Amino acid sequence: MTEPAGRDRSCPGTFARAWAKAVAGTSYLPMAQAQLEALLQRLTERLAVALRSEPFDLRIGQQVGAELVRAHIASAEGLGRTVEVIQLRLVRDLGLVAEDVEDRMARLLATVATGYARALRDRTLDEQETIRRAAMTARAQAERALRDSEARFRHQATHDPLTDLPNRTLFTERLTAALTRPGRHADRVGVCFLDLDRFKVVNDSLGHQVGDRLLIAVANRLRAALGEHLVARLGGDEFVILVERTAGTDDAVRVAEAALAAVNEPALVDGHELTVSASIGIVERQVADTTPVELMRAADSTLHWAKAAGGARWSLFDADRNRRELARYALSAAIPTALERGEFYLDYQPLTALRDGRVLGMEALVRWRHPELGVLRPDSFIGLAEETGLIGQLGGWVLAEACREARTWADQAGDAPFVSVNLAVQQVRRPGLVDEVRALLGRTGLPPGRLQLEITESTMMSTAEEPVRALRVLADLGVRIAIDDFGTGYCNLAYLRGLPVTELKVAGEFVTGLRAPADDPASRTDERILAALVSLAHALRVTVTAEGVETAEQAARLRAIDCDAAQGWHFGRPGPARQHLDRSPALSGTGV
Amino acid sequence: MQRPDWAPDSIDVERPSVARMYDYYLGGSHNFAADRAAAQAMMAAVPEAPLMAQANRAFLRRAVQFLAESGVRQFLDIGSGIPTVGNVHEVAQRVDPECRVVYVDVDPVAVAHSREILADNDRATVIQEDLRRPAAILQHPEVTSLLDLTQPVAVMIVAVLHFVPDEDRPEEILRTLRSALAPGSYLVMSQASDDDRGETGERAEAERVYRRTDSQLFIRSRAELTALFAGFDLVEPGVVWVPQWRPDAPEQAEDAAKAVFIGGVGRLGD
Repeated sequence: MTEPAGRDRSCPGTFARAWAKAVAGTSYLPMAQAQLEALLQRLTERLAVALRSEPFDLRIGQQVGAELVRAHIASAEGLGRTVEVIQLRLVRDLGLVAEDVEDRMARLLATVATGYARALRDRTLDEQETIRRAAMTARAQAERALRDSEARFRHQATHDPLTDLPNRTLFTERLTAALTRPGRHADRVGVCFLDLDRFKVVNDSLGHQVGDRLLIAVANRLRAALGEHLVARLGGDEFVILVERTAGTDDAVRVAEAALAAVNEPALVDGHELTVSASIGIVERQVADTTPVELMRAADSTLHWAKAAGGARWSLFDADRNRRELARYALSAAIPTALERGEFYLDYQPLTALRDGRVLGMEALVRWRHPELGVLRPDSFIGLAEETGLIGQLGGWVLAEACREARTWADQAGDAPFVSVNLAVQQVRRPGLVDEVRALLGRTGLPPGRLQLEITESTMMSTAEEPVRALRVLADLGVRIAIDDFGTGYCNLAYLRGLPVTELKVAGEFVTGLRAPADDPASRTDERILAALVSLAHALRVTVTAEGVETAEQAARLRAIDCDAAQGWHFGRPGPARQHLDRSPALSGTGV
Repeated sequence: MQRPDWAPDSIDVERPSVARMYDYYLGGSHNFAADRAAAQAMMAAVPEAPLMAQANRAFLRRAVQFLAESGVRQFLDIGSGIPTVGNVHEVAQRVDPECRVVYVDVDPVAVAHSREILADNDRATVIQEDLRRPAAILQHPEVTSLLDLTQPVAVMIVAVLHFVPDEDRPEEILRTLRSALAPGSYLVMSQASDDDRGETGERAEAERVYRRTDSQLFIRSRAELTALFAGFDLVEPGVVWVPQWRPDAPEQAEDAAKAVFIGGVGRLGD
């Protein structure tokens, strides 16, 4: 800003003091009184020069006017008072004498006013310009700050706070953009879904803080290893990688392998050296053929394949497998409704005494009369029901229905066949099994001895102490306990000591051997194994039923080694109970 | 979400700004039509308004001159407004070019203008902050880099306290500032007051005018302003009508109550 012209040391005269008094208060004067008077004294002397000069000099008055403005004596009032004081006092105070003084005074005032007005106008315009520029700058800054805060907000909305990786929102945006880029239908795109294996163990054993730091370490590695590809964290220990413009599946696989390698590096977290592995599901396809939702879903299910295969690997999406799984999923989802609608029913296959052809018991086999797929056999839905936990519900229905129907197999002789029901491992482990069976028997009035529970060898092997105790309670009630598929597992006989097993059902594999001619060495071996089994079982007071008996020859050979009973096509295919009951010698009284 | 350091106000030149109205009172042209209209409304109610602004500005000049001559070399001018004529750095650096000055204002236009004027002055700068956030001012990087708070600083709160209501706890604002200052520091304050002016309706009218601006007016008495100097030793002549504070010439102190502003300077003892 301007240096005030107040350094003049000449002593102010009467006029300069009067002038200073006149302009005081007309505007803010940024100087002390003495400085003002000194300035005006200097200007007074210039005015005196102007009045005396020959010829009259226009410039002096104009300069004085401009200098007043420059010294911030810059207002309409300031000019008015200046004109007034000069007109009234200048000539008198300075003692000026000249014949044309009035004429000169008029011209002097005109030049001072001109110089003053001109300078004031310039100053006003300058100030207006600077304040407008400042307003523009301030607005630009405010807008930039707004943009910055929007950018910050957007970053927060699109990034994961823990790892600062893009989050699901941003990933979905980028994926959608990659799929819908105009004119790029031929482009291919890959998505790798990554999930740490057994991350929960880290969290549970070392705490969430260590878990979080591990996630940060993994995120940093993925970011470093896959720089050009978008890596996002979807939540928990789930990450996803977008591989744009792939040339083929191999490109996505290479990215997945790099990601696995990056995760596999041991990480030092809080003094713990942690080695983690990951599973990855890869989907890679042409953008025209897919949608973001479809891609994400496919990658997610592919990830589960990698997990199911043991983890620490990638899996590639397989459309056929996916279709099968979807169909299976749809089927399992339909089980509860099917139960409500009564779409399940039971077929029975007889267990026939080899000695006299009597039907000793009947194995209940569940069927699903599916409204669209027709009648389904258990192998197409029992596995699903076991996986999804629906087996409890379904198995419970089978058990109840079998008991109810078996009660109707009333007979005059009083020895109607028992009903044999398969129990899944989850059913055996359920704490309420004993109560459930006891209640069923009470409700249906079925004698305990007419219920046989079939348990596979592998169920027995994997069963803890508590369920074994339950089976013992049931056996004590009189319920028959059969070991199903005997001979397909480890054939550990130890459990036979601790369990009141009534019957062994020998797997069809051994029986199949008996179809070959009796002098075939392999067939002879199977026969000897069976004979030894039968003899061992009898020694333990356990009966033996051979499964999968299809021919009269097999039946004869089994009878020869003293096997107790047989089940298979030769003795009757699965069907309604009535069909077998009618053939039962015990009921028809005919014998074989 | 974290709020930005300062909320980006819309820069609305249609809304009167007290900083630009003050410039108009001082005879400046750093103002817009809305500012002039509000200032003229104020002058219709209180014709002395320009004189008050001039008297206050003269008080600021004399106070800075006094402080610089007393050896203070650092100035923190809070509520500095539009840098018109006679700014703190001009007065102080004329005494000693080593004087360092940080201006603080909440008005983004005033700050932008100040920044342009100070572009070539590496011993003076401006930040956008609010007097009501003293800790933010003290911790601002431009403040901490230009000022050494272990050495005396003159804090100027001139013609701005009347925009801070009692609800905003001015005494706490001042306590925060005081606790950050080294012994030998000074506090300069002035603010509008209506002591000795009687009930003329001016106050109500002035408050009504300022309700339309970006800052409302809160008048305080001399006793109230004096209380806000707590912890500082008032320099002679204490809290007075600003023309009475160490005038250049005795006649300038006449009719002092017309100036409406009261002010004073306090020193933080050792």
